[in-house]
Amino acid sequence: MCGLGISNFTSKITTSITRVIPSWASTSKRANRAISWIGKHVSSPQNRLILGATALMSQPFIDLHNRKVDEETRKVSAARTVAKIIAGTTTGFLIRYGCIKAIDYCCMLPSQITKLTKFPRLRTLFTPDSAISGVLKDLGHYKQSLGTIISLAVMVFTNFAIDAPLTKFLTNKFVDKCKNKPVNKVQNQNSNTNQSNDKKRKEVNYNA
Amino acid sequence: MPETSMFRKVINQIAKAYGHKPGKMLVHTGVIGWVLSSLAQISAIVFNDKIPKEQKMFLIPQEMADAGINIISFYLITQGFKNVANKLVKTGRWLPKSVKDFLVYKGAADKLGKGSFDVYRSNLLTPSGLKRYNSFKNGIDVIGTTIGSVISCNLVTPVARNEIASDSQKKGIARMNKTNQKPDLKINNKYYAYFKRPTMQNFYSGNMKV
Repeated sequence: MCGLGISNFTSKITTSITRVIPSWASTSKRANRAISWIGKHVSSPQNRLILGATALMSQPFIDLHNRKVDEETRKVSAARTVAKIIAGTTTGFLIRYGCIKAIDYCCMLPSQITKLTKFPRLRTLFTPDSAISGVLKDLGHYKQSLGTIISLAVMVFTNFAIDAPLTKFLTNKFVDKCKNKPVNKVQNQNSNTNQSNDKKRKEVNYNA
Repeated sequence: MPETSMFRKVINQIAKAYGHKPGKMLVHTGVIGWVLSSLAQISAIVFNDKIPKEQKMFLIPQEMADAGINIISFYLITQGFKNVANKLVKTGRWLPKSVKDFLVYKGAADKLGKGSFDVYRSNLLTPSGLKRYNSFKNGIDVIGTTIGSVISCNLVTPVARNEIASDSQKKGIARMNKTNQKPDLKINNKYYAYFKRPTMQNFYSGNMKV
């Protein structure tokens, strides 16, 4: 009952939002081609890459401007966020991409297999029945979905084996850099003020 | 073989669920991905000796809040964007011009953009028009999902998780300060009373008890 109520509520919101949005007909052929290309080629690896790139542009700044915590915590938090984004995006993209490629290799239609095809049983290992019977004509989305699901299974291990240690390593590197920076500045400032004080003293002595 | 049939069942189920819906797959796998990633990240913070305890008190709730809010905002915002994008194309409010012109020619001009109209179910399109419509629909679906996920994961989540984590850190530090305060010897402690005796003052210094 409750689930039905929520789905009704969300569907009403969706309908009212769509009513407000003006109708649009895409006239440009280039735009249509770009939209179709995105629908066909942008899948979870590319989505992860887009999310990673936009995360790098927003999240560290949000962390650095968090005034509810002290400056040290802000810096560590921002450093960890950058490290996490770099590690997560790199491994996430590579694993998803690799898995989708592997599925692509093992997802041939029986009609495409010739006598020259190597490992014919392996090449149709992940081909669904709906594709064999002709119901599912475009295997692209299916391959991307299955590849992403398998990559999630792979990531259960790689998150702990690669992601987390890499994040830890990068966090420590970035934190060290952050901690060293202000010290150097202070040291430079101190040395500059010392030098200027020496100069002033020399000038005073000279005048005397 | 039962294993093979089970394997085929899983594969066919995936084909059925996501074969025509790339946006749906992005939402589902995205949620599972965030949970797995957060579990690993929490373990990375816990076992990182270089991060002081006070900052761990911020970073661990930050990571937990990150996963929780990510899932909630992913379902609310990303799914919302995806639903709106789908509805726009499904009802014919957003269409490629060639498809729209064809539907107008077929007499569907009044119905276009209305909540109850479904371009796919209307059976007005030719196979080539349907192909164009489907590729446009998939593209808008992926664009909607991506924009929604960028807003939810990179803008809403970091702001909300920082709020939650900073509150949690404050509470944690207050708790830690309480436990770190050395408990004063209680008045009714018999040893306290004993060592506070004026006669004991000269015989008791530091750790030495005479």
